[in-house]
Amino acid sequence: MTRAGFCDSKPLLDLHKKADERRAPLRTWSNACGPKDRWQPVEVEESRMAPVKMEPERRWERRLSAQTSEGIIMGFNEDSLMHTAADGCVEESVFLYPHGLQGIHSLQALVPSLLRHEVETALEKLDLAWDRVFAWDMFLDMMRTQTRNSLPNADLPRHFTDSTRSVLVDWLIQVHEMMHFQEETLYLAVHLLNRSLRQIKVTTVNLQLLGMVCLFLAAKKEECLLPEVSGLCYLMDHTYTSHQLLRMERKILLGLKFDLSYCPPLHFLLLLASIARSSAKVVWMARYLLELSLLEGQCVVFLPVQLAGAALCMSRQVLQDPLTPEGEAAWCLASSVHVGSETALLRIMHILASAAGKAHNRETCATFIKFSSPETMHVSRHPGLKNTAALLGICT
Amino acid sequence: MAHGTSLQYEPVAEIGGGAYGTVYKARDTESGQFVALKSVRVQTDQNGLPISTVREVALLKRLEQFDHPNVVRLMDVCAIQRSDQETKVTLVFEHVDQDLKTYLERAPAAGLAPGRIKDLMRQLMCGLAFLHSNRVMHRDLKPENILVTSQGQVKLADFGLARIYSCHMALTPVVVTLWYRPPEVLLQSSYATPVDIWSTGCIFAEMFRRKPLLCGESEVDQLGKIFQVIGLPPEDEWPTDVTLSRKHFPSLLPRPITDFVPEINEKGAQLLLKMLTFDPLKRISALNALEHSYFQDEEPLT
Repeated sequence: MTRAGFCDSKPLLDLHKKADERRAPLRTWSNACGPKDRWQPVEVEESRMAPVKMEPERRWERRLSAQTSEGIIMGFNEDSLMHTAADGCVEESVFLYPHGLQGIHSLQALVPSLLRHEVETALEKLDLAWDRVFAWDMFLDMMRTQTRNSLPNADLPRHFTDSTRSVLVDWLIQVHEMMHFQEETLYLAVHLLNRSLRQIKVTTVNLQLLGMVCLFLAAKKEECLLPEVSGLCYLMDHTYTSHQLLRMERKILLGLKFDLSYCPPLHFLLLLASIARSSAKVVWMARYLLELSLLEGQCVVFLPVQLAGAALCMSRQVLQDPLTPEGEAAWCLASSVHVGSETALLRIMHILASAAGKAHNRETCATFIKFSSPETMHVSRHPGLKNTAALLGICT
Repeated sequence: MAHGTSLQYEPVAEIGGGAYGTVYKARDTESGQFVALKSVRVQTDQNGLPISTVREVALLKRLEQFDHPNVVRLMDVCAIQRSDQETKVTLVFEHVDQDLKTYLERAPAAGLAPGRIKDLMRQLMCGLAFLHSNRVMHRDLKPENILVTSQGQVKLADFGLARIYSCHMALTPVVVTLWYRPPEVLLQSSYATPVDIWSTGCIFAEMFRRKPLLCGESEVDQLGKIFQVIGLPPEDEWPTDVTLSRKHFPSLLPRPITDFVPEINEKGAQLLLKMLTFDPLKRISALNALEHSYFQDEEPLT
């Protein structure tokens, strides 16, 4: 079976960027958590920062043999599981490498138990893990499975353009809101749509049907209460019969081989925000930005964790919350999850900045309206988002 | 695949009637490999494929991505519409010739080497820990659906199917063995992943005995057989949400497990008792079982 490893499909690091930029979160982490005077900026060779070619990982070998393998995104080595949250190896591993962090791609070597502890607490608090015992395993699964959730490229089949796609997504956002579905359902629906558009031959005439069935399938996966098929046909002005809808359902299930698993960027966002102790407003702003990413066809190539990280990062910069040492330390720990994908984050932030800048006067403004309500703290109307140029400025 | 199973998979033989319908051994005409075909007919109403089927098959597909060595491969899924009311969903699994039942039957007269049993158990527990950490319970573990390859690799089969099929059970007369059922299921109390640990405990004992540990003929009889081994649990452990009263059973004291499994060593016996614990909350978990000292020291495989 071929794996859609992100390393093969797209460059994680833009080698033209300055080395400083790529290292940013690492350095801030070190400043916050390690002794400052020990930190020496290191000139890292370009080649060393390039992502390591990764083998499809077999995590389960750890129980059969205690071998370490190259981790997926930031080098989570499986032997980190052997450590308990209490063993003080954080300091140890930092001091073991006093000459900077050359060649350490592995986050595990840096923040093994602290991050683990924070992740477990956050997942438990968010009710995303059913049992704390499995929380860390679950996080590793999230990190691993998400690599299957990004697409190799942003190309759409002929006849379809990014703007047709965003009109359809905007409509799905409205239907989704009307149905009072959970947010996960929306993210899954758009993910299924992105994959279906590439897997299934569909005419422009049936595009709306395809979108609706993706939402319907997402609801079957995520929701307790399911809408009636006849109701869905009504929402489409009876352009299609329920028979057509069910035929499309089978077609999509077969096209996607029943693979409906998805690790929504929203979960990563909530996880990161929880680790970073972000304020409610920062979280709402990030959720808004993240939802805007659904409308952007170019975003399909990024990993969910990168989309979430970029949205949160930008939200913090727009809102400019007062900085505290604890807040900074927490943020550094949260952003350590992204070590190695700083360039991707910057690219996403650029996309989000231009999307947010024009969101209010676009045709597709369901998300803008949704996030202008008092319940969402009016984040989409925040003056900081008005000026695209200034927004782009914070992203560079 | 969209053209249906009949073209790509050529049935070779019927393997086992299975509780949930016929299972076929078939040849994949594209790769030449043997596969096991398991089909279920699901009723499609006006809302299409039932939620339970969509979710369970999606879950199996997701588990497949992990490529776990102790879980049987799901190679393909197809759905063919039979009529407006019925869709046939076929799951295509890798085919393994031998299950644990035959493996035990074919074991030499002297029985399996203790090291071999330990190796099988460790693999079994790895597979279970994997399923459980993904919120999947097997619910119907027995020697027949634990596969053993010719290299001695254990692969769990039929997990998750219980839920896909349970909605459609009415269609087939189901005979399910009670011998591996934990007390909470027999008592119709609520249950979760510990059910599989109980079943694995029964199988652990069976590997030494080469015959089942607890062969009850009805739910109540099975419970009686269980209490003859582990003793009648104290009143405070008896679940409150069940109709069957504790008074229904004679007051029995636990007997040494070595009375039933004489060949087991001390650490093995400790682990077995932790698996055959009445209270599911006190029963050992798969992850903890793997850490048990029984698995720490190696013994020869032959």
